[in-house]
Amino acid sequence: MSTPRTFRRLAVTAAAALAAVSLLASCATQTTATDAATGGDPVEGGTLTYLEHQPHTTLYPPQAGFYPNGGIVNNITARLTWQDPESLEIEPWVATEWTVNADATEYTFELRDHVTFSDGTVVDAAAVAKNFDTYGLGNTELGLTVSEAINNYASSEVVDADTVTFRFSAPAPGFLQATSTINSGLLSPETLDRKLEEFGAGSSTEIVGSGAFVVTEEEIGTSLRLEARDDYDWAPPSFEHQGRAYLDAIDLVVAPEDSVRIGSLLAGQADVIRYVQAFDEAQVSGAGFEIIAAPTRGVNNSIGLRFTNPLLSDLKVRQALVHGVDAQEVVDTIFTENYPVATSQLASTAAGYTDESEALAFDPELSEELLDEAGWQVGADGVREKNGERLSLTVYEAKPQPLSKQTLELVSQQLAKIGVELNVKAADAGSYAADILDPLKTPLYHSMVGRADNDVIKSQYFTKNRNTLLSNDAKLDELLTAVASEPDASKRDEASAAVQDYLTEQAYVIPLFEEPQVYGAAPYVHGFATEAVARPQFYDTWLDEK
Amino acid sequence: MPYLARRVGQALVVLALAFTVTFVLLQALPGDAILIKFESPELGLSPEQIADIRASYGADVPAWQQYLHTVSGFLVGDFGYSVQYGTPVHELLAAALPETLALAGLGFLVAVLIAVSVAFLSTLAPFAWLRQALRSLPGVFVSVPVFWLGIVLIQVFSFQLKLVPVIGADPVQSLILPVLTLAIPISAPLAQVLARSIDDVALSPFVAVVRAKGAGPARVLWRDVARNALLPTITIAGVLIGELIGGAVVTETVFGRAGVGRLTEQAVANQDVAVLQAIVILAAVVFVVVNLAVDLVYPVLDPRLKRKAVAA
Repeated sequence: MSTPRTFRRLAVTAAAALAAVSLLASCATQTTATDAATGGDPVEGGTLTYLEHQPHTTLYPPQAGFYPNGGIVNNITARLTWQDPESLEIEPWVATEWTVNADATEYTFELRDHVTFSDGTVVDAAAVAKNFDTYGLGNTELGLTVSEAINNYASSEVVDADTVTFRFSAPAPGFLQATSTINSGLLSPETLDRKLEEFGAGSSTEIVGSGAFVVTEEEIGTSLRLEARDDYDWAPPSFEHQGRAYLDAIDLVVAPEDSVRIGSLLAGQADVIRYVQAFDEAQVSGAGFEIIAAPTRGVNNSIGLRFTNPLLSDLKVRQALVHGVDAQEVVDTIFTENYPVATSQLASTAAGYTDESEALAFDPELSEELLDEAGWQVGADGVREKNGERLSLTVYEAKPQPLSKQTLELVSQQLAKIGVELNVKAADAGSYAADILDPLKTPLYHSMVGRADNDVIKSQYFTKNRNTLLSNDAKLDELLTAVASEPDASKRDEASAAVQDYLTEQAYVIPLFEEPQVYGAAPYVHGFATEAVARPQFYDTWLDEK
Repeated sequence: MPYLARRVGQALVVLALAFTVTFVLLQALPGDAILIKFESPELGLSPEQIADIRASYGADVPAWQQYLHTVSGFLVGDFGYSVQYGTPVHELLAAALPETLALAGLGFLVAVLIAVSVAFLSTLAPFAWLRQALRSLPGVFVSVPVFWLGIVLIQVFSFQLKLVPVIGADPVQSLILPVLTLAIPISAPLAQVLARSIDDVALSPFVAVVRAKGAGPARVLWRDVARNALLPTITIAGVLIGELIGGAVVTETVFGRAGVGRLTEQAVANQDVAVLQAIVILAAVVFVVVNLAVDLVYPVLDPRLKRKAVAA
C-alpha cells in the first residue's frame, strides 16, 4: 500500500530539494508569524479552519507535549506567565508579579483581578494552588501524572485571595518558565477532579479552562470547534491586542493524509494547516501561500548513541560515528532552509545554547582513523570487523520526527562509507515501544524535544527523565542536575554549556538539525503566531477578505 | 425453525472463538497500549508512575484474569476503556458506528448499482467493442488501490473542479466522494460474478426453450436469466462485507472521516486492545448476521431450495 505513495514522496522530495536550493538563494529570512501589519486593521469575526495532522488524545496539560494536544491546550488555557517567543523573557499574564527567593525554592505570585474560567468561576489563589499541586505532585487516585516541566515541587500556600506561594524541596530555577508552558495551563478546580480518562477525546467540551477560546463541539478523532470567549480580557499585558480574540471560532479538523491537507489549503477549503512536509513547502509557497516555520527551541533532532551497548562503549567508535555523519547533506537533500543544520546538541535558539560545531564537524577521514585505531578493520563486505564481530548497528524509524526514515537511510549511507553498517528498521508501535528501551536492540535512538528553558537538556538525557541515552553515566547526571538546580541565570547557562561540552567530548549524540514545526497559511490569514515551542496561537489571528 | 436455531448456535460459537483468538493474539503481540502511550520517553514518567497507571487499567494482573474480566464485561455490554483516548470504548463506538454504517451502506448500494449496470450493459450493449470495454471495467476497478482512488477523486473533483469540498462539507456532500471510493473497488467482483453467471445461465437449455417460444432478448435476460444469475452474486455480496470494513479503514483515513475504520486504524497503531477487541466482535457480528441473512434469502429466490429443506 505504501509503494506508490513512497514513490510520489521521492519524486516530490527531489523536486522540493531543487526548489529549496533556489529558495535559499532568494530569501534567507525565517518567518515565525504571518504578517499582521500588511493586511491593514484587524477585523473581528469569522471562523478559521485549521487542519491537524493527528487527532488529539488528552487535554490534561502535563500530557499536552504531543502537538495535537498542545495546539488545543495553548488556546483554551491562560498561564501564570507568558514567555516571549523571541526573547524568551518571562512576562506577566495571569500573575501580575512574582518574587523568587535566593535559592529558588520559594516562589510567590500575585494574581490579576477579574480573570475567570470559562464556567464563570474566578481564577483565585486557591484555584491556582490546586492546579500546581496537581501538576507538581500528580494525583495517583485520578491517574493524573506529574508535569515533566516541574521539578522538586513540595507544596503550595494560599496567602490571600490574590497571592499564592509555592515551595520546593530543592532549588527549582526552571519553575518560573514552567509556569508559562502549556503543561501549566490553568484549569478550573472542578475540572482537576476529573480522572485522566475524563480528559480524553470525547470529553473536550467539559474541560473548563481560562484561555481566549473554549471547546464547544467535538466529534471524536475528527473535529473540534473552539469558540472565542467574549469576556476574555486578560491577554499578557505586553500584547498590543487586548480583549477577546479576533476570530469568532476555529474549526479544527483532523486530516491525516498530507496531500489532503496541502490540497485543501491551496483549494481554499482550509485556512491554516499544521505539518507541511519539507517536500511540500515549495508547492505551498509557490502558490502564494505562507510557510511559517517555528523553531522548537530545545534539544535538536539528533541520534543518541547508547553507550551501554558494547559496540558503542568505545569512545573512539562513538567519535567516528559523530564525525562520519554529514548533517549538512541531510538538510540539503531531504529538508529545506527552515531546518537549520545543528551546531550543538541544543538548537541555537534554545536557552543555554553553546556552539559545538567545530568539535562535531563532519570528517570521514578522521572517522576512519579512529576506527582503525580502535581495531576495527574493513572486512570483505566493506563493513568493519573486530574479533569476528561486525560493526553493525540498528536504529528505528521515529514516527514523530519528520521524514525520519529518509533521514536515517541517508545517515546509513554516509556511515557505510566509513565501514559502519546501520540498519534502519520500521516497527509497529508495540515492538518500537518495547525495543527502544533496550540498548542492545536499539543502540541508536532518533529523537528531539522542545522546551524554551535550560531544563530541556535534562529532560532529554537525565536518567530519571526521558533518559534517551539509557545512560548509566553518573557524571552526566551530575552535570544535568546542576542545570536544573542552579538559581543564578548566568551560572545556569554555564552549567548547560558544560553538559553540551561533555556530550560532545564523550560523543554521546549525533546532532542533525534544529527541528521546526511547519505551518501553511492562506494569504488572507493575518496574525497567526506560535508560542515559544511552536504551538499555534490563534488569539491574534484574523481573516481578511478572501 | 430448528434450522434457524442451529444457525444462531453456530454463530455464537464463531463469536466466542473470534473473541478468544483475538484476545490471545493481542496479548501475544510485543508491547501494549500502556507501554506505547505512557512508557514512551516522550512523557518522562517514572517507573512508579507507570506501575500506578498499569494498576489503574487493571493491566498488572495475569492474562487469564484479564480474559475473565473482559468476557464478563462484554456480556453486560461494558467494553472497557480505550487507553489511547482515555474514553469508554462504547462511547467511541457509538460515535463512530453511524458514520460508518452510512458510508458502508451507501457504498454497498452504489457498488451493487455499478455492478448491475456494468454486467447488464455488457450483455445488452449494441457493439461488440463496447461490450468488451464494459466487460474489462471490473478488471480495472478491482486492481485500483482504495487509497489511491480516494486521493485521485479528491484531487480531481474537490481541488481541481471544486465540485465538492472535503473539509467543511455538509453531511450529504461529505459522503459523495468517500462512497464512490468505497463502491468502485467493491463493485468489481460483484460485476465479474454477475456477468459470468449471466453468460452461464444464458447457455442453459431452458433459456434456449424460452427463446424458441419466441421471447425477446430483454425479456429473457430480465425474467429468466437474471433471477437465476443472482444467487452466486448474493453469496459474493455476503463475503464482500469484509471488504467493506477493510475499505472503510482506508477511505475514512484518506478523507479524515470519523468512523469505525478510522478508529480501527488508530487502535491498531496504538495497540489499543480494548478498542480492537470490541471492533473485532462488532465485525464478527456483522459478518455472521449478513451471512445468516444471505442463507435465509436463498430459498426466497430459488424455490427449489425451499422444497429441499422441507424434504429434508
